[in-house]
Amino acid sequence: MVEQVNSFAIKTKNVSVHYGNKMAIDDVTINFTKNDVTSLIGPSGCGKSTFLRCLNRMNDVIDSCKVQGEFLLNGVTDIYGDSIQVETLREKIGMVFQKPNPFPKSIFENVAYGPKIHGLASTQSELNDIVMDSLNRAGLYEEVKDRMDDIATGLSGGQQQRLCIARAIAIRPEIILMDEPCSALDPIATARIEELINELKENYTIIIVTHSMSQASRISQRTAFFHLGKLIEHGDTSKIFTKPDKEQTNDYITGRFG
Amino acid sequence: MENTHTDKNFEQKLKQLQDDLIKMSEIVEKQIEIAVNVIKTKDSQDAQLTQNLDEQVDVAERDVRDLSFEIMTLHRPVASDLRLVFTALKVSKELERMGDHSRNLAKRAISISSSFDDELIEQMYSLGRNVQSMVNQVLDSFFKKDELKAKTSWNQDAEIDKEYKSLLKNLIERMHNKETSVVDEGTKPILIAKSLERIGDHATNIAEEVIFNITGHYIDLKKSDFE
Ligand SMILES: Nc1ncnc2c1ncn2[C@@H]1O[C@H](COP(=O)(O)OP(=O)(O)O)[C@@H](O)[C@H]1O
Ligand SMILES: [Mg+2]
Repeated sequence: MVEQVNSFAIKTKNVSVHYGNKMAIDDVTINFTKNDVTSLIGPSGCGKSTFLRCLNRMNDVIDSCKVQGEFLLNGVTDIYGDSIQVETLREKIGMVFQKPNPFPKSIFENVAYGPKIHGLASTQSELNDIVMDSLNRAGLYEEVKDRMDDIATGLSGGQQQRLCIARAIAIRPEIILMDEPCSALDPIATARIEELINELKENYTIIIVTHSMSQASRISQRTAFFHLGKLIEHGDTSKIFTKPDKEQTNDYITGRFG
Repeated sequence: MENTHTDKNFEQKLKQLQDDLIKMSEIVEKQIEIAVNVIKTKDSQDAQLTQNLDEQVDVAERDVRDLSFEIMTLHRPVASDLRLVFTALKVSKELERMGDHSRNLAKRAISISSSFDDELIEQMYSLGRNVQSMVNQVLDSFFKKDELKAKTSWNQDAEIDKEYKSLLKNLIERMHNKETSVVDEGTKPILIAKSLERIGDHATNIAEEVIFNITGHYIDLKKSDFE
């Protein structure tokens, strides 16, 4: 069978990451299937965020951080190569952080900012459409349509996080990276984001770091378990949570001392 | 030994669940042993004992079921823990059915007259002993998480089926020949043999659950693969 180059949104091979002399990721090889939600799980400090940040070169700004290995976008574009600029890369691979971080500006401006600087809209009405569409997809439009000019930081935590997702969507990414997006949210706001993630996977590939096993099992089709910088096991979420291949994975997800 | 849970309460309940199952299996094993003996001894007190033990088995099954629900609701088990709870529920159901069959067969065995054909009694008794040994083996495989042993006992069922069929054939032939001692007992010996054969089937089901508990997969149901 011919390998389907296009079935993977991101392919990585032999990835190692050091902070100075300290190894944070140790020879990880993993591919992310398009339109799947993949959860990265593992004990705190095992390198999930470090690995996630490599995927859209967020680690570039950390001087001590040295990234090695292969990263291919859509099976062809070298993420760290000359053929793609970091700005273009981040257009394709968006990111949502642990703490909602809206700019201290209006709701509208928060979403409009990205498309503006990336030149995605040529007229004001086009920009309006993008903002509306993004807020809609993030499931926030109905709640904010009458107060688009209000300051974004006045929204609730859950709303702010959905705004950040709208902001990520507005630049039309193919892939969205999320680093513990619900850890600052209450259960209702969390459920709302999880529902959203489920809807978004129709159009985007999502890679999410989560410390919640039950969240990983609810929202993702694939799960990758990291331990001490190594990828221990990666597979279908249903398999990982019923019969993982590795003892270490079983111990971690069942809450046993490793 | 497996690593222990960070959550001691959860750890404790899983341990309790296994202990409940061990207790339940011990009762059922005893019940089967007594019932098989009754085929020969026709001791009515022993037959009554299988009835009393059956009540304990029913209580034990309820305990396993309630604890399983509690664990699922409060602790949301996954992976090996989830498989254990799942297996416990199914195994306890099989054990409960085995208990019913032993009680029924003991009740029928005491009502068979002492003039009944010795050879047939011997044949039923031997079938009973083999079923009993299969049950002991499969339960042992469960508690020791011994996949090979589970598969071996799973294969034993084919032997038991053969023995059962030959016993039936023998019974029917003798009925055809109008052997009075056989005809007078009507369907009783057939039902006793059937109960024993059914216990073997339940043991086979347990073997399948044990293999699932260990491997996460159900055994391929084509027996020929193992013969
Ligand atoms: N900016 C940094 N400088 C130095 N060490 C870091 C930095 N960020 C993370 N680390 C170290 O790298 C390892 C992995 O961290 P991280 O990727 O944040 O783990 P996780 O997200 O799984 O909790 C940890 O030992 C952490 O201390
Ligand atoms: Mg992290």
